[in-house]
Amino acid sequence: MPLVAFTVGLAMVLMLRKIAARLQRRIGPPFLQPVYDIVKLYSKDTQISHGMIHEMGIIMAVGGYIAAETLLPVPGMDGLADKGGIVTLTYLLMIPQLGLALGVGQCANPNGSIGISRALTAMLAYDIPFILVVFGMSWSYGTTNLAEMIAIQQQAGMQSWGIIQMPLLALAGLMVLPAMLGKQPFEIYVAPAEIATGPMVEMGGKFMGGLFVMQCFQLYTVGVLYTTLFLGGGENWLSFLFKIFVVVAIPMSIAFMFPRYRTEDMLRLMWKWPVLVGLLGLAVVMIQV
Amino acid sequence: MSKNKTLTKKDQMQQDKAQDGQQMLVDFTRPRTNPMANVFDGLVRFCQSRSMFMLHYCTGCGAIELPPAMTSRFDMERLGIQPMVTPRQADILLITGYVSVKTLKRIILTYEQMAAPKYVIGICSCTVNGGMYWQSYATAKVLREYLPVDIYIAGCMPRPEAIIEGLQVLMDDIKTGRAENWKRYFQNYDYYLGNQQKLFGDHWQTPTDIISEARHYDLITENTLGKHTALLEKHQAPLQALEMTLQQNRERV
Ligand code: SF4
Repeated sequence: MPLVAFTVGLAMVLMLRKIAARLQRRIGPPFLQPVYDIVKLYSKDTQISHGMIHEMGIIMAVGGYIAAETLLPVPGMDGLADKGGIVTLTYLLMIPQLGLALGVGQCANPNGSIGISRALTAMLAYDIPFILVVFGMSWSYGTTNLAEMIAIQQQAGMQSWGIIQMPLLALAGLMVLPAMLGKQPFEIYVAPAEIATGPMVEMGGKFMGGLFVMQCFQLYTVGVLYTTLFLGGGENWLSFLFKIFVVVAIPMSIAFMFPRYRTEDMLRLMWKWPVLVGLLGLAVVMIQV
Repeated sequence: MSKNKTLTKKDQMQQDKAQDGQQMLVDFTRPRTNPMANVFDGLVRFCQSRSMFMLHYCTGCGAIELPPAMTSRFDMERLGIQPMVTPRQADILLITGYVSVKTLKRIILTYEQMAAPKYVIGICSCTVNGGMYWQSYATAKVLREYLPVDIYIAGCMPRPEAIIEGLQVLMDDIKTGRAENWKRYFQNYDYYLGNQQKLFGDHWQTPTDIISEARHYDLITENTLGKHTALLEKHQAPLQALEMTLQQNRERV
């Protein structure tokens, strides 16, 4: 399953860059560009490491997502989804950020430290609405098992999809999505021009390659999670892929409409609107049940 | 720096003459016997040529032609060229215009921090021979005396088409394995360091240990070490990590 995730993730990276290019009236990168980038980064002659923890951090970042992939059900393959459940998944999704923080910490670059502190604050911001959404959905389905959630949603066609049953929670989830992906209005922690790409400032060669791989996994994970919770999972591969690509394309398409939020503004925004909508949704769920 | 002195035209000519003899590139690479290895190398080189991250350290007026080359009209991304902001991730160092002595120091620091294989592109006539700043006391005239330049794109200033054309030439060079100028820096470090010392004074020192790096890549030749590196060793102060405090120690800056 991680292999599938990687391939799909590569395609998603390509799609995002294409969308961004089209929005700016450019042609965009060629079809295999993400592959070229990763091969190039791994084949650099100079690989500057700042020590053990730097390397471990990248391994944690990639490994956390690989572990998360095994818990995400895809059509025909449930993996560990039966046993793990969404709570384990939520924990696993935090590992990459923490791994990154460890790795960046050892680089001892001030720009990196600023970047990672912003990234962790951002995590704090989007995790609260995210947990609300996860909690509400498990309450309403009466299970924390992702495979069972899909089964429940597929019983009666589109009528039983999470997005129809619990539109408020779905809306809150959609608001959190760009923040989880670190996409445009919320990309203050990478801020290329001010703090030189923040956490990535000391990452070159294979370290940067590892982060590129991580990004593929991240896009895939977020896409699949949203599809599983709200869009009824995938009946077959075709509809599954279609759904996850649409989910990932949404935040990118609206990304350039907003100016970038500062960290504290982002915190305020995330704790106000998605949390409000999420709480309302939760109340609705609890009254219904 | 007290030792700063502007180069006279005569000095320059002599140097140019000496240069061609000194800047040689020794090819250490063993011929590959395994045909699969050649295929693999070819693949890696192809990927390297199709994915170039450029650090645009915009020095002079030539930088103004880069935004159009990157954005909607000429769109460099379709060639796989993207701007990057830290030297650790960059493959190409673009020098866009005249280089003042002060800027040159930063350029050299940046260049030495980049990860090999790395390429330098000199855009604008000012990097080729000083251009219209030839008589200025504050600019470094010929860029290739201080850094191994892969491609020059001449013009005052070159249009985006010319820049993209130049980048395509570099891509072809990488693909065929001809763009190996970064090895020259290690193999002829004494020559480059000598020119740098002439400009910045004897105490010139960068945080990157080029000689050890050359040893690491097995790129030591008889031109790597010489009287200039001996001078460097004599003056070299050991590098120390800056102490981190939260107090306002303004005078340290
Ligand atoms: S060549 Fe012309 S445009 Fe370029 S830096 Fe020199 S003066 Fe400026």
